[in-house]
Amino acid sequence: MNAQVPIPQVPIRAEAPAPVGLLAELTHRCPLRCPYCSNPLELDRRSGELDTATWQRVLTEAAGLGVLHVHLSGGEPTARNDIVEITKTCADLGLYSNLITSGVGGALAKLQPLYDAGLDHVQLSVQGVDARNAEKIGGLKNAQPQKMEFAAKVVELGLPLTLNAVIHRGNIHEVEGFIELAVRLGAKRLEVAHTQYYGWAYVNRAALMPDKAQVDASIRIVEAARERLKGQLVIDLVVPDYYAKYPKACAGGWGRKLMNVTPQGKVLPCHAAETIPGLEFWYVTDHSLAEIWRDAPAFTAYRGTDWMQEPCRSCDRRERDWGGCRCQALALAGDAAATDPACSLSPLHAKVRALAVEEAAETPPDYVYRTIGSNIRSPLKEDA
Amino acid sequence: MNAVFPAPAPDTAERLLSPEELEAALRDIGARRYHNLHPFHRLLHDGKLSKDQVRAWALNRYYYQAMIPVKDAAVLARMTDASLRRVWRQRIVDHDGDAPGDGGIERWLKLAEGVGFDRDYVLSTRGILSATKFSVEAYVHFVAEKSLLEAIASSLTEMFSPTIISERVAGMLKNYDFITKETLAYFDKRLTQAPRDADFALDYVKQHATTPELQRQAMAALTFKCNVLWTQLDALYFAYVAPGMIPPDAWQPGVGLVAETAAAPKPGIGALAAGDRPRLPRGVRLRHDETRAKHVLLAPERTFDLDDNAVAVLKLVDGSRTVADIADELGKTYAADPRAIEADILVMLRGLAEKRVLER
Repeated sequence: MNAQVPIPQVPIRAEAPAPVGLLAELTHRCPLRCPYCSNPLELDRRSGELDTATWQRVLTEAAGLGVLHVHLSGGEPTARNDIVEITKTCADLGLYSNLITSGVGGALAKLQPLYDAGLDHVQLSVQGVDARNAEKIGGLKNAQPQKMEFAAKVVELGLPLTLNAVIHRGNIHEVEGFIELAVRLGAKRLEVAHTQYYGWAYVNRAALMPDKAQVDASIRIVEAARERLKGQLVIDLVVPDYYAKYPKACAGGWGRKLMNVTPQGKVLPCHAAETIPGLEFWYVTDHSLAEIWRDAPAFTAYRGTDWMQEPCRSCDRRERDWGGCRCQALALAGDAAATDPACSLSPLHAKVRALAVEEAAETPPDYVYRTIGSNIRSPLKEDA
Repeated sequence: MNAVFPAPAPDTAERLLSPEELEAALRDIGARRYHNLHPFHRLLHDGKLSKDQVRAWALNRYYYQAMIPVKDAAVLARMTDASLRRVWRQRIVDHDGDAPGDGGIERWLKLAEGVGFDRDYVLSTRGILSATKFSVEAYVHFVAEKSLLEAIASSLTEMFSPTIISERVAGMLKNYDFITKETLAYFDKRLTQAPRDADFALDYVKQHATTPELQRQAMAALTFKCNVLWTQLDALYFAYVAPGMIPPDAWQPGVGLVAETAAAPKPGIGALAAGDRPRLPRGVRLRHDETRAKHVLLAPERTFDLDDNAVAVLKLVDGSRTVADIADELGKTYAADPRAIEADILVMLRGLAEKRVLER
């Protein structure tokens, strides 16, 4: 479909290829308190959130920049009263809208209006299969039945449904169950995403880290199910970094594909970028999205390969995984420009692997639940 | 006509051929005797066989597949050189896999299941033609009893198999609506495995057939193997095509199948056929990307880059045109044979259906 409103086009420059995705963190408010939340430890408050008109301008600028997919996220995006209006703006601009939701609270009531506004896709988080386990992880009683009802309604409307299951030692035994649940609910996709240890997950790492045997078993289960359910359910698998051979191209490469706008309008190259000290982020209230994408210091800092050190600098994979994750390099190597220690070529890799093995072997500590206004200090900043 | 060990042409019997001449002579054997020339295969690939005749082929051919590792183990047992064994054992791994559910035999079982067979019936080998068994077992005995050079030379039919596989996959996908790309997954692997195996075997034969007598033996071994394949098709033709004399203990149509309803593809997904009317479901959109000046298919959490052919097809995917209609229209636009492009369209659309971004 072509866009129904004129969109000013922004020329692309070679050093900053046009972004394809925008993660719109509309709010940090959320009824769930998952201990692996990717939001920062210092959550934005409602009073500081961007207004509707500003989000609509941001989306128009994004379309002009070449963005194709908009991920409406949070927090819980349906906690915003204007979620339907924002979704409608996406549809008018030809942007593909993806609602990333917990499915609890007011989400169900907004589903029909969102459908009517042109929503393209729903990604529903599920914390566990067994309700008690799921509700312990999410920190909210009675969440599971709400989620099931929400999922059924999505499928009934004919919207494509993806289930997103973040995997950690508290639910890794349920991987087969997540697959069955996805089939039963009529989801077309399932994301079996092992926890990435940033934000709240980093704080809770010892409570979340599974052991290698559990990880391997979960991968085998997914591979067998993919074969069995071919044509019925697509399963995406994100393996945990600490046990990987090569790191992930974080966000498809720094400042290459994605950008992330926080509830207050701060634009980040990835959702954890604020953990890196000294980076200067720009706000959509001060600059156009195009200016930010091309020129904001936070985006130019690690774009391309010029900033790389060895072993990345001379590595054949440097334009495939782009050195891995900067935030993880900072957290684990103490230097955001170092090779991501998740990479087997990093001198620190063995240490990281040993750390994961050690934590997975211990009795898990209690979760530190996500909450607004917490006094939790980032261990990253203390280390740095 | 096909003597088991035919006398070679006088020219090639008397003098030592150069390695290149030997290779040409071996390839010539394939060009004249490989089973892609058999009338049964022509019928199979051209879509002239009934579903039951395709089933008979899949069932009987299973016996050949299942015995290949036995044959290769017999070859392996005769190799005294560890470096040779290291290469040869890969064939066994390819067929048996590293774990249950893996490997070429398993993929052949999938094919048999794909055409409706009950897995246990196929595994039992009960309905397989005795002639098939005799041919296959003759091959196992041959490699155990003849020289190692002859054993290796007899595997050289793999030089010819990529041609037959390409013909077979394209022909079967196009002509049989009960055959899907997944059913034919066996052949995807063989397209890369067979040339790798054949390259090694050919080099070995060229290096070790150092006298006219050894070269004659190598050629006779390859001829023998062509006949192993050929006679299996003779038997199939005789029993299931014409005159249709099925031996008393062999598979009869209707036997050993799972109930049709269970085998049928699930509604909306699975094997798309020429008569189906594909559509893009909600949440999947074809869009022109102004910034990058190209069309993309937007789908949940992903974007498909499309080539011009894919765009031309997807512009016509609207839930009312059948695949055949789309092929007809594109055939007109591009002055091409619509039936020839229909097979390509089906492969592409089935790929999208498998990723759950296309329905019917």
